Amino acid sequence: MNSNIPFLNASIAQALDYTAPILFAALGGVMSENAGVVNIALEGMMRFAAFFGVWGSFVSGNAWVGLLWGVGIGIVLGALHAYITVKWAGDQIISGVAINVMAMGMITYLLESVFKTTGYSPPVAYFGAPASKIHLAFLKGIPILGAFAELTILIWFALILVVVLHFVLYHTVLGLRIRAVGENPHAAETLGVNVFKIKWFAVISGSVLAAFGGLALSLGTLSSFTNSMAMGKGFIGLAAMIFGKWTPFGALGAILIFAGAQVLQLFMQGTATGFAKLIPLGFYLSLPYMLTIGALIGVVGKAVGPASDGVPYKKES
Amino acid sequence: MKALEVKGIVKQFPGVLANDNINLSINKGEIYAIVGENGAGKSTLMKIIYGLYTPTSGEIFVFDKKVDIKTPYDAIGLKIGMVHQEFMLIPRFTVTQNIVLGDEPSKGIVFDYKKALNEVEELSEKFGLKVDPAEKVANLPVGIQQRVEILKILRRGAEILIFDEPTAVLTPEETEDLFKTLMKLKKNGKTIIFISHKLKEVIAIADRIAVLRRGKLQGIVERGKTSEVELARMVVGRDVVLKIPKAEAKVGGTVVSIRDLTVKSKRGIIGLKEVSFDVCAGEIVGIAGVEGNGQAELVNALIGFTRPIKGTIAFDGEEIRVITPFNIRKKGMAYIPKDRKMRGLVLPFRSRENIIMGQHTLYPFSKNGVLNNIEIDKFTTKKLEEFDVRPRDIHTRARNLSGGNQQKLILAKEMSMEHKFLLASQPTRGLDIGAMEFVYHKLIEEKERGMAILLISLELSEIMGLSDRILVLYNGEIVGETTPDKTTEEELGLMMLGLKKQKRVAQ
Ligand SMILES: Nc1ncnc2c1ncn2[C@@H]1O[C@H](COP(=O)(O)OP(=O)(O)OP(=O)(O)O)[C@@H](O)[C@H]1O
Ligand SMILES: [Mg+2]
Repeated sequence: MNSNIPFLNASIAQALDYTAPILFAALGGVMSENAGVVNIALEGMMRFAAFFGVWGSFVSGNAWVGLLWGVGIGIVLGALHAYITVKWAGDQIISGVAINVMAMGMITYLLESVFKTTGYSPPVAYFGAPASKIHLAFLKGIPILGAFAELTILIWFALILVVVLHFVLYHTVLGLRIRAVGENPHAAETLGVNVFKIKWFAVISGSVLAAFGGLALSLGTLSSFTNSMAMGKGFIGLAAMIFGKWTPFGALGAILIFAGAQVLQLFMQGTATGFAKLIPLGFYLSLPYMLTIGALIGVVGKAVGPASDGVPYKKES
Repeated sequence: MKALEVKGIVKQFPGVLANDNINLSINKGEIYAIVGENGAGKSTLMKIIYGLYTPTSGEIFVFDKKVDIKTPYDAIGLKIGMVHQEFMLIPRFTVTQNIVLGDEPSKGIVFDYKKALNEVEELSEKFGLKVDPAEKVANLPVGIQQRVEILKILRRGAEILIFDEPTAVLTPEETEDLFKTLMKLKKNGKTIIFISHKLKEVIAIADRIAVLRRGKLQGIVERGKTSEVELARMVVGRDVVLKIPKAEAKVGGTVVSIRDLTVKSKRGIIGLKEVSFDVCAGEIVGIAGVEGNGQAELVNALIGFTRPIKGTIAFDGEEIRVITPFNIRKKGMAYIPKDRKMRGLVLPFRSRENIIMGQHTLYPFSKNGVLNNIEIDKFTTKKLEEFDVRPRDIHTRARNLSGGNQQKLILAKEMSMEHKFLLASQPTRGLDIGAMEFVYHKLIEEKERGMAILLISLELSEIMGLSDRILVLYNGEIVGETTPDKTTEEELGLMMLGLKKQKRVAQ
């Protein structure tokens, strides 16, 4: 068993790498939907940011510049979604679908015209490079904790953000107002809460979080953009948010279950003997998706979101 | 000193003149009541004062200063607070979170919940309004939720408090509590404006009463200078018989038969315990009881929203194993729900669409899945007339009808559906006295035509006046069965509180 420790740690580290982008997306959803705005464009926003991150890094040779480009496009897309759904009280699903469709077409086009390639961008400076990782050598060799010895800064950021977002939502004045707006905007409005401002803020900051998710894919796990990004991870993030009942820690828990399936797969691949070897690999691969469907049909009990989630807010005449 | 003055207020909605040159002057420390028919324009006027609607013309003065109120926030700034008929609360928040929202005690960006709890505690003591500051609002009964609303506006320093039909959703006990609260607030120098259809209440508590009719101010009467009958005449513009006419029951065969019905409540506890009774053709069976003693569970089991954990329900002698709203309605049940917005109407739909709902698949309203608009419009026009829904316009959206007219639309829909059994849950909630009289006549007419009627009401006078038999629900059980001539309101009241039981004849 002892000989398995490095392998176990490596599997967990890989699972964390799998977790980060989904977690960012889920937290973005948590932020936006707690203020009552559904954001199914998480997937498209991730794709945009994944590409712009690589572009920025390619142009400058610096992953941090890439990060800024990614965050920038996140703000732009968030503002677009907010403009449609908050300013004009437009349909949130339609706006989200539109951004997703736009991401499919526009990014494929940009990939070809910027890099003159199809399918992949050239490799660029990224956060997953051995020198850019956060090294915590003292953890090495300890079971489980050893997995944290060499992670990218984006993974750490995602994990810390869970705590930060929890604090913001449940322990600050801003958080109370965000949740009030998602529950009953009319009540909040009569008490002097600026509903529109809160919604704008929540949608844009949620979109920026989704953008980080895209960056974690193209500048964290990989060092280039592939045209299959964001590979459905935005949607899994959305499912994790529901599975986790619209809370940051809930979403983290949900994703860890998904990721657990991944670890299991990696671990089994390497060490399975006897009966476990008989289970086809595809089973493990599809496990997160099956869990997602389970979450959506309510295996985990009734998932009840904010009362006014998805309801456009208009003032009375 | 004048707390509030409105001068020449006019509000024109498309096709409806809701307020027509209204002048009112309300003194500081006064309890001022506004009464009037459904659709008279009471809520509209209050919404104008609270900044929810902008008046077409007119002026508002608050504490002798001319003001311009554009949003509720402006109103709050002018120390005007409003307790809406549907509460503006967030069920998932605690009492404290609801009260302090928008003006939270904080340390930097951190919400200081401890301090907020203390503040609410103090506030509730100061005004003698008892609440548990840490309780979730979703777990509170309606009367306490209303208290939270009052505390909310008091914390914002409200001096003028507006209540739109505050007692319509309250039990008689809660109403008494509210009146005690209002008197306390008055002693504290607050000014109170309140709307009600219950003239007895109004006469008991108001210093002055303004009567509105069809958007116009009809007159103002002083405390002690009017009677219920006289006030009723002012409201409706004709004599109203407040006494419910007696009609002998010609009891026919059993229509609905309930045996050992046991139902879980929404909170998961047993809400209705082994209840058995019959409702026969040609009789009205009244269910008396304090709200929350099993009425909701009984209704939900009957309409098929909750599956009972034990017991049977038979319709026309035939047991229905699994009840769905569809199959029980098909058997001939009509249902007047107590919550008109949740269960009664589709608010964005027009009158003509709401009124045929449930029969929309039937001839003459549709054929082969295609709606027959000419027939629908003809039918709607007739029904709006018959049930006096105002405005008569068949295209009005249910959302834009006044509360009482929404109720009339539901009555029109349900009573014109083919049925043998009518389940009426608080059918007169929010109705003006004229409309109430109309509903009473309708119910008696139905009974005389041989309908079986189950009437659930919190109003004892209604139960006593209409029922042929009375069942008293307490704590999910039937603790008494009697008839109006064998009991008194006092005795019923005791039974409703579980202080007295009465043996039932075995079913
Ligand atoms: N937003 C709106 N759009 C169009 N018409 C409206 C709107 N709000 C109210 N009305 C109409 O204005 C009139 C007055 O309505 P209001 O709600 O003030 O009556 P009310 O006196 O409060 O009646 P009730 O006792 O039934 O509550 C009604 O005819 C109603 O249909
Ligand atoms: Mg009204």
